[in-house]
Amino acid sequence: MAMTCARCGAQNPDGNLYCQSCGTPLTAAPPAPMPGPPPGPPSGPPPSMAPPVFTGPAGYASPYYAPAGVTAPVHRTPWMLIIAAVVALVVLMAGCGTALAILGNRGSVSISGSVGTADLPSPTPAVTPSPVASSPTPASGPGIVANDTVSLTVPSGWTVVSKDSQEIVLEDPSPEGEVDVASGSSSPAASAQDNKAGIDKELTNKYPDTRACPNTKTINSTLNGVKGISWSLCFTLTDGTHSVPAAASLFVGANTSGSVYYLVIVLTRQDNLTSYLKVTAPVTASIHWKL
Amino acid sequence: MRCDHCANDVPDGVFCTRCGAHQGTTGELARAKTRRHSFAAHPGEHVVQPSVFTTLFPHLGRQKIHEFRWAFAVGLAGILLLYAVGLIAAAILVAILLVPLLYLIYLYEAQVYRDEPATVLGFTIGGGVVIGLVVTLIERAVTNPFTSVGNPLGSAGISVGTLLAVGLVMPVVQEALKPLPALFLPNRKDFPETVDGLVFGIAAGLGFSVAESLVVFSSALTGLPAHMSPGNWIYELATIAVFQPLLQGSATGMVVAAAWRYRRGRLSGREVGGVAMAVIAHVAFSLGTQLLKDVAVAQLFVLLWQAVVVGAVLVYVRYLLHHALLEEAAHMGYAETVCPNCHRHIVASGFCPNCGMALTAAPAPVKRARKPAVSKG
Repeated sequence: MAMTCARCGAQNPDGNLYCQSCGTPLTAAPPAPMPGPPPGPPSGPPPSMAPPVFTGPAGYASPYYAPAGVTAPVHRTPWMLIIAAVVALVVLMAGCGTALAILGNRGSVSISGSVGTADLPSPTPAVTPSPVASSPTPASGPGIVANDTVSLTVPSGWTVVSKDSQEIVLEDPSPEGEVDVASGSSSPAASAQDNKAGIDKELTNKYPDTRACPNTKTINSTLNGVKGISWSLCFTLTDGTHSVPAAASLFVGANTSGSVYYLVIVLTRQDNLTSYLKVTAPVTASIHWKL
Repeated sequence: MRCDHCANDVPDGVFCTRCGAHQGTTGELARAKTRRHSFAAHPGEHVVQPSVFTTLFPHLGRQKIHEFRWAFAVGLAGILLLYAVGLIAAAILVAILLVPLLYLIYLYEAQVYRDEPATVLGFTIGGGVVIGLVVTLIERAVTNPFTSVGNPLGSAGISVGTLLAVGLVMPVVQEALKPLPALFLPNRKDFPETVDGLVFGIAAGLGFSVAESLVVFSSALTGLPAHMSPGNWIYELATIAVFQPLLQGSATGMVVAAAWRYRRGRLSGREVGGVAMAVIAHVAFSLGTQLLKDVAVAQLFVLLWQAVVVGAVLVYVRYLLHHALLEEAAHMGYAETVCPNCHRHIVASGFCPNCGMALTAAPAPVKRARKPAVSKG
């Protein structure tokens, strides 16, 4: 027998505990007649779209019920278990990460000796660089690349990644790294030491673990007639798709007045720096500073 | 009582259990209906609130949310500790796995996968991992990390090609591929609600994030010394532990949620905007991060930028989910149940009359335990 809701008058299938229209508990007692047509079934259109239906003054209908017996728990995972899982992750990964680092470093080649641009060929004697542009070196032939401040030889297979008025960046065929050569005006005037400090600061800002490469030292040196400072920095290079333990062998110089800077960066993987400096030697040897 | 908004007779309560409208706001029907001040999955919060857990873990009640927040805080403290003692490789691993681990626990807690955990987890997290590995390995093969270094003295050193590849092409490709495992879930018809799609998408995105970070940091994990000076690694760790997984998860979740809405025949500007928002946010995140790093801006600003982008995505996810819940929960029948948010025993249709939570966002065990308004006799 269909049961009529005492509150809203909706007809409910036999056996319903609650009115399917308004949720009022249904009893076996005879229903009180309600004025107005009964509302539609709940499975119809969304209530927000349903037209208002007058069902007379509504009495209080509690939305709460007293649970009978044991009810299913709302949550399954004790909070201790959640915290314990995170603590276990930290402990486990501390072990794994350390083991991975130890195993990974076991076979790696350490950078030994005084690596830096001091190791780059420096065939010309030290001279004081002139702040005035010397006679420009023509970019004759496909093997020469030049801008307003520097020119150098591009070996076969190498590519010029970028070039502007102050900087030339070359990439080897593999590619295993790059050579970045730059020169230009310094304003305000800066010594080689000032330029070095600037580079150290910029690289430290850019890469989280910038540090002097192990077993290397900072030395005064000369590169193709320019006095300056050579040193090596190691850092992890991240760019969104890579995270490479990188090493940069750097040379930075300045003319006597500090109005011109000279810069060479040889960049590659940490375990490859020593051999990469030999690969890049012809490039660095060919650098001609114009200022 | 009669609902202020839908005019149905419903059990008394602060919220209409049929349409979810907040009662007592008769003069402002639009607000009662959209109730932006009361997020449908967690009514205590505004919709426009970039809250991580109530957005990406929508099935959890108020109390459980706090437990997950505490667990996350413990994980972050662990990362900080490992960083402070110089165990950077270990800290990277924890950072990569922290959010995905919490999500796995959440999936178990809410039983979103119901009776088919292997299929659902395999296609979402597992599928995300596989796609993440393939995509990231290909990305690595076609880009040279050294070309983006440039001259630290400030002259033009940024390779435009690298910038476009890392900041524009890759995010677009990733957003096209990441949702595929969730979209092709074989038993997707068993999970018709948008909140299911959102959670599956987030799981796939987190799987992708794990694989991506592991590949990206594989060289660092094996190349860094076991113990070293921590340097500025804390910034990178913050990105790996917090912003990267949140971006990947929420962006993919939004795309899959929009697809779920389309399957229900409910595609509107809101859903199309969600897909656009996911792509734009991912591009903004990657391009902005790359640019800011290249111009050597302080790392704190990089994190700030990432936080802004992730916050914007989270707000859009909530906006999308809120309206989906309001619409979908309105079709539920009456039943005795327990509100997972306020823990009251209620006789309710789609919304808790006490706190207003949309009951389609209840954990599966609670939904199963609903006693419909039909007696067994």
